[in-house]
Amino acid sequence: MEHMFRTMVVAAALALSTGLAAAQATVRWLHIEANPAQVKIWEEVARDFEAKNPGVKVEMQYLENEAYKAKAPTLLQSRDRPHIIYSWAGGVLKAQVEAGVLEDITVQVAGFKDTLSPSAVAAFTIGGKIYGLPHTVSQVGFMANKELLAKAGVDAAKVLNWDDLLDAVRKLKASGITPIAVGGADKWPVHFYWTGLAGRIGGKAAFDAALKGDGGGFEGEVFQKSGELFKQLVDLQPFQNGFLGFKSQQAIGHFGDGKAAMILAISSFYHTQKVFAADKVGISDDKLAWINIPVVAGGKGEATDTLGGVNGWLITKGAPKEAVDFVKHFISPDVQKRLAGGNYLIPTVKGAETGLGSPFMRNIAQNIAASKYHQNFWDQDLGPSVGRVVNDATAELAGGTMTPRQVAKAIQDAFKQGN
Amino acid sequence: MSEEAPTVPFSEDGWSPAAFAKVAFLGIVFLFVAIPLIATLLGGLKSLGELRTNPFGLPQVWEWENYAGILGSKRYWQLLFNSLVIASLTVAITLAVAAMAAFTFAHIHFFGSKMLLNYFTIGLLFPSATAILPMFIKVRDLGLLDSYLGVVLPQVAFALAMSILLLRRFFRDLPSELLEAALVDGCSYINFFRYVTLPLSRPILSTVGTITFVHSWNAYLIPLVMLNSDSLYPWPLGIMVYQGEYSTEWHLILAFITLTILPTILLFLFAQKHIVAGLTAGSVKG
Amino acid sequence: MNALRLRTGDSGKLTTLVLFLPPALVLFSLFVILPVGEAAWYSGFNWNGFGKPTNWIGLDNYRFVFANKAFATAFRNNLLIIAVSLLVQLPLALALAIILTDRFRGAVALRLVFFLPYILAEIATGLIFSFVYDGDYGLLAAIYRLFGAEAPHLLASSSTAFPAILLVVVWKYFGFHMMLFIAALQGMDRSMVEAAKIDGASRWQLLRYVVIPTLYPTIRLSVFFAIVGSLQLFDLVMPLTRGGPADSSHTMVSFLYNFGVTRMRVGFGSAVGVILFVICITFAFGYKRWIMRDE
Repeated sequence: MEHMFRTMVVAAALALSTGLAAAQATVRWLHIEANPAQVKIWEEVARDFEAKNPGVKVEMQYLENEAYKAKAPTLLQSRDRPHIIYSWAGGVLKAQVEAGVLEDITVQVAGFKDTLSPSAVAAFTIGGKIYGLPHTVSQVGFMANKELLAKAGVDAAKVLNWDDLLDAVRKLKASGITPIAVGGADKWPVHFYWTGLAGRIGGKAAFDAALKGDGGGFEGEVFQKSGELFKQLVDLQPFQNGFLGFKSQQAIGHFGDGKAAMILAISSFYHTQKVFAADKVGISDDKLAWINIPVVAGGKGEATDTLGGVNGWLITKGAPKEAVDFVKHFISPDVQKRLAGGNYLIPTVKGAETGLGSPFMRNIAQNIAASKYHQNFWDQDLGPSVGRVVNDATAELAGGTMTPRQVAKAIQDAFKQGN
Repeated sequence: MSEEAPTVPFSEDGWSPAAFAKVAFLGIVFLFVAIPLIATLLGGLKSLGELRTNPFGLPQVWEWENYAGILGSKRYWQLLFNSLVIASLTVAITLAVAAMAAFTFAHIHFFGSKMLLNYFTIGLLFPSATAILPMFIKVRDLGLLDSYLGVVLPQVAFALAMSILLLRRFFRDLPSELLEAALVDGCSYINFFRYVTLPLSRPILSTVGTITFVHSWNAYLIPLVMLNSDSLYPWPLGIMVYQGEYSTEWHLILAFITLTILPTILLFLFAQKHIVAGLTAGSVKG
Repeated sequence: MNALRLRTGDSGKLTTLVLFLPPALVLFSLFVILPVGEAAWYSGFNWNGFGKPTNWIGLDNYRFVFANKAFATAFRNNLLIIAVSLLVQLPLALALAIILTDRFRGAVALRLVFFLPYILAEIATGLIFSFVYDGDYGLLAAIYRLFGAEAPHLLASSSTAFPAILLVVVWKYFGFHMMLFIAALQGMDRSMVEAAKIDGASRWQLLRYVVIPTLYPTIRLSVFFAIVGSLQLFDLVMPLTRGGPADSSHTMVSFLYNFGVTRMRVGFGSAVGVILFVICITFAFGYKRWIMRDE
């Protein structure tokens, strides 16, 4: 009897261990991509990776953008956290590194990183160590519907400085066209105005000075002025009805439906405005224009400076090494060219931008390449707490419940609190 | 909810202006309550286009596939399953733990008994949200984040105060001769609890169980903070995710809402006495 | 319980104590009481929740909370809920209870219908009303279209979002209070009513001098629940507005969630929690002492 029992135990143990050998490193990959067309390709990439690496399984998890930002701090503390997570780099990444929830992958990507744009890799390097890999960069600017602009007699190519923009808004309003769509409920689409203007007014120097607390920090002149200029726009009531209740996706869809002439966009909206449009077609390429964030008269920022994102994938602490392998596969030239060819993103792999399908996206890629100062999104760059206050305060400015002075003060207070 | 009350202060006979006013008042309140619910139910049977042109009426074309699609999806059943597991575990543990504690408070005199009971009463006075961050850190340190138990245990803890008070009062009201006789016969407290108290307390146990179940079934904040994987999400979390995905496809969202509140409504219809008694019994001070 | 049975071990009394009390005590202390104490401790730190708190900043977090504009709005909103509960919901519930305690066809069914919103989850209720209020597809929009007007986006404007939530609060909770009153009315001593009727009291006098006074204890209870409920309101706010637009519709709990939990500002969030705790406890004891003292 005892003998039989022992045999059974051994058999069970054998079954278990062979089972383990055949299976399975499972890589849990958390993404926030809402565009089904792009997700489909990503799934194919994951299946492709599994085919090339028997025994490895890639499990995709999705969280909606806002839900992800709200969830990330608690999510990362769980033992069963995903192995690969989405990141905008910047101060939020830095906080995550300090919290010790990320894996240092410097050694594993030593050679690989040279295939990528150095500045993008730099965004994922903290204190000389690499914690993630970038797969795309983006630029913020106005996406415009030429047809609607033409109805109001506005030429997108001639909107160069802030007054031109205000003028265009007035003309559009006079023609009964909603000038600008914005997703005010998510707040971050609003913060682009304030931060974009600050970049035009003060340039890199002002941002760096504010970080050091010089010149009144974020309460200084540059930032007061960006609030005042934004207020000039807000006072024209340029946004769609009920804009503070629109999530970003809804606002993008609104633009894609041709219900608003412009949207202050991340370049990737080029694709999503089609997806979130009611007809899934959106604004066709020939009607779509791109307007760089207008310059400000007397501003110290260079016209070539860009505001935009550097996005990539972080490897969390304790992830299997296959997670890094998968990210490398995901950012391989083949996959990057495929995604660039579909105009889903501006790639980070050197040379992959030649694969970009549309002139629209090629223009963006050129803008970023020509930029000497690519400022990351402030709400990410300034870290989890201060960045959120930038969003809160600028949304209040758009809603008319805070003055430019109060906005600057709220942000500086948060910055001083560092909390 | 008894119907036997023969007269009530304001019963009147026949029709009068006052009666009309009363009926009109009831009618308005009825519409106020019912219209959003009926529109939700019917909205799930319309196409998005029709929802816009005809939000109130019966569907011109009955789009059963909105409902069928959800009922045929793994997602819906997974959410209900998770909610059921979490709520059942919460009820089971709450009843077991609270009944034991209530029994000692009801029948055993010991030093500090009153103080200890007052200690539990504090739990009635503030919502679980007040200490949600330390609670999160505690659950994390116990390694229970993203698990059913990480939601269940805090929920049990917050259900204890009310449950203990209600159960204790009921236990004490059981005839005390029973216990005396049993003890004389050499029955132990534990056996008395098991073979006498519990069987006699079915009504209060089902009342407390029902309140706890409904609270857990509907709970949002604790699961929101403790859970990360959608495979573990109870339905309130799941439906928020669903709404995020289909943000303006209201016909689908309405169908999803209808199907997720359906179990609650069915439970309500079947167990309305317990629910009404239970939820308003919370009002009686312990 | 006589002295005989105080001998230890008698009928397993001690065993029972040792087995029966600790589970409840441990769970309750661990997840209810201890976290409150910890909140008080954490609120002195600037801490993101990782590792151990080290950056002691004293009472600064409380200063930050009180200086926060959104917190002030949240606090005001909580007061508004209380006001609406007392001024709108309570009279409505009372009137309905008085009518529906009457025995007539449909009365019981109506009670159930009016009680139904109370048992629906707040999340579902919030979603249903975000549909009702939706400016494009909602019921309200349809009513506006009927009159050829363009619907306002109620939830998208700082001035209307919270009032819209208040209406949902009434919709959801009046039935519960109505049930409380019905239970009290059914348990009421009818001889007094009959006596008053014989004395020729008018219906209004009957209501004013007989019925309402006997309901005072229930009214006090209903007020208590309305206030406690308002202090913990969260689930309804999330699906409707998430506290927006521009942080105009937060309650204290949704403020805590958005500014504490999702930003993992453990110290700041704990300070909000402590403030909420102090308000709840002060209210509960004060109410018990001053308002319910005769019970």
